[in-house]
Amino acid sequence: MSAKEQMVRKLNSHTVEVSLPSKLGYERIAMDCSASFAKMAGFAQDRIEDLKTAVAEACLNAIEHGNKGHPNPRVLVTMNFKDDRFSVSVKDNGKGIPRIPKDTTVMRRIENLKPPKGLGTYLIKQLVDEVEFNKLTADGHTVKMVIKLTDKRLSPGKRQASGGTTN
Amino acid sequence: MEQPTEIALETIGDITLFDIRGDVTALSEPFLNDAYTKAIDLNAGKILFRFTKDVYINSGGIALLIQILAETKKNKQQAGITGLSSHFKKIFNMVGITKFAKIYDTVEAALEQMAGGD
Repeated sequence: MSAKEQMVRKLNSHTVEVSLPSKLGYERIAMDCSASFAKMAGFAQDRIEDLKTAVAEACLNAIEHGNKGHPNPRVLVTMNFKDDRFSVSVKDNGKGIPRIPKDTTVMRRIENLKPPKGLGTYLIKQLVDEVEFNKLTADGHTVKMVIKLTDKRLSPGKRQASGGTTN
Repeated sequence: MEQPTEIALETIGDITLFDIRGDVTALSEPFLNDAYTKAIDLNAGKILFRFTKDVYINSGGIALLIQILAETKKNKQQAGITGLSSHFKKIFNMVGITKFAKIYDTVEAALEQMAGGD
């Protein structure tokens, strides 16, 4: 069994779990896995690309900020497809994101050509249909995202420009 | 896991082409900075960033590109981008990079249009 196969576990016919070392680059495993699963579920390529980027950014936050780059606490990515909803949970051992910059703050920094903080969470909010940050439990922090088979999102300009949960 | 960034510089007329291969992430910083320093040494007035269609660019890579575009603006250089997939064209538009660097569908279109501008 390859190292990649050892990281991926099928929990049931609708659910797959990926356990990643907290090391930059390993988010690619979760991206590839989510893309394959979403393709099997019938997602169009453009939605799969959105999903891959959102999964990558959630994993990067978990690796860098949640587990602070320590390789031992794993990043656990759970994917589930049911009806027309593809949900992804990304769990780390951290205490959550203390302050999620507002979309307007991120964009203002970019307009002034300053390196933006919170670009990853900004991208996630733009690309998925629902996202919930800062789900805290006794053993860590989870980001939960949902992307739907049919893109019913509003245009980016009309989306809620705030941190926290978007629907 | 990470595909290391490789950047080759090529001068075509008055345009300096950054041929970028591999991943573009936070770890690309020394490669992008080194390439940009060389472009400055070449007195580059116009810079075209060429990506491959299957490139992986994450938020760390986008932040670096924003820093480089800040430098091009400060140095009064014209910047263009080409080779992106439709997904990354959407992402670059979403984050506002397109306000500072025009995206071209092909290298040929970029070279033609950038060569015409001053």
